[in-house]
Amino acid sequence: MSLDYVKFSSGFEKFMPKEYRDMVEHGPFGKKVSVSQMGSFKEVLEEHPMCAGCAMTLFIRLAMIAFPNPEDTITVGTAGCGRLAISQAAIPFVYGNYGDQNGVASGLSRGLRLRFGDKPKDVVVMAGDGGTADIGFQQVLHSWFRKERFTTIMLDNEVYGNTGGQESGMTNRGAVLKMAPLGKKFEKMDMLQMAKVAGCAYVATVVPNNPRRVESVIKKAVLIAREVGSTYIQAYTSCNIEYAIPTDKVMEDAKNVENDRYQFSEYITDEAKQFLTERYGYKEFLPKPAAPAPGLPKA
Amino acid sequence: MYLVADISVEICAAKSCKLCTQYCPEANTILYSDEMGKDKGFKYGSAYVAVDRCKGCAQCVWVCDNMAKNNAIKMIMIDQLPVAALTDNITYGEKSTTAALVSPVVG
Ligand code: SF4
Ligand code: SF4
Repeated sequence: MSLDYVKFSSGFEKFMPKEYRDMVEHGPFGKKVSVSQMGSFKEVLEEHPMCAGCAMTLFIRLAMIAFPNPEDTITVGTAGCGRLAISQAAIPFVYGNYGDQNGVASGLSRGLRLRFGDKPKDVVVMAGDGGTADIGFQQVLHSWFRKERFTTIMLDNEVYGNTGGQESGMTNRGAVLKMAPLGKKFEKMDMLQMAKVAGCAYVATVVPNNPRRVESVIKKAVLIAREVGSTYIQAYTSCNIEYAIPTDKVMEDAKNVENDRYQFSEYITDEAKQFLTERYGYKEFLPKPAAPAPGLPKA
Repeated sequence: MYLVADISVEICAAKSCKLCTQYCPEANTILYSDEMGKDKGFKYGSAYVAVDRCKGCAQCVWVCDNMAKNNAIKMIMIDQLPVAALTDNITYGEKSTTAALVSPVVG
């Protein structure tokens, strides 16, 4: 796994599809790309069967642009809508059995460290709310308690969208869904608080209607997981099918939900701040210059 | 037939904010060209849609109308577009792309 794995074997170039040639020649491998350059370079994500207008698709697209070293990244996922797109990218994807993605990622990240030493190889789990907070809950929590060094991203559409609309632990109380016709009786699980209690070094919430912010939190989470410990991002990625949101209103919904109950939040330990500052030149955690002293009374 | 997004170069090139390129859920579907627009005498380039990849969600229309406040994108039946960009005819450059526009409907 390195930049070389995408390159053509000599003599084969002319047989490769145009999309592949574009990706090798004008993709993000080995360069720094950012969301502000979107539309002018070839992305690693290809066409996929996720529904039109899905906010989760947009989030996955942004996440892949945000990976600091896409050529040195492996994604891990599980059953759910997201893997339909995550698997269609020029980034190796490991499909865990339902619920064991954080266990798989733990082994993978340890194995990569043994094999490659200090050379960063990033492992990023992207799974849905059901995969992370319900069926994968035990393995997710234990990976955090063990301080496994990889990033967990929850694609939170607040429903089992792939199987017809059952409530998940992340569904809001009172939500009526096709397979929860009486409305959910319990509160949405507070996975953010659990991530902090379990010792994650970085925890953030985002909504995809702010691409630059998505980029910034994913970069930080992946970099911190290289050395400091587990990192967790919880992203609101609405299911426009199960929640009947017209596709041209998906971003309006994201904005409303962000203002209402999915405000941006970021938690970062002092160790992680110091790591980002010293290793990757982040300036935002440096002490702010002291406020000017109140003017001395004129003599 | 089905709807795809169509960006008016004349309206987009007056602003050219590139917001829609960041909000389309599909990768490499709304692309940006420095040339398009400039060749018509506008100061900036324009965004355009690779219609073979567009899923017709109209999210870009909302973004251009409400966030960019520029109203440059409309949904149009694909057979009503005389010419459009298709992935096969797009060339990537260093910082921009170019597209040779062709009829999007075969036959
Ligand atoms: S949002 Fe509208 S004005 Fe901005 S680049 Fe897209 S089409 Fe052009
Ligand atoms: S209609 Fe949807 S898929 Fe098509 S270009 Fe606009 S945002 Fe992208």
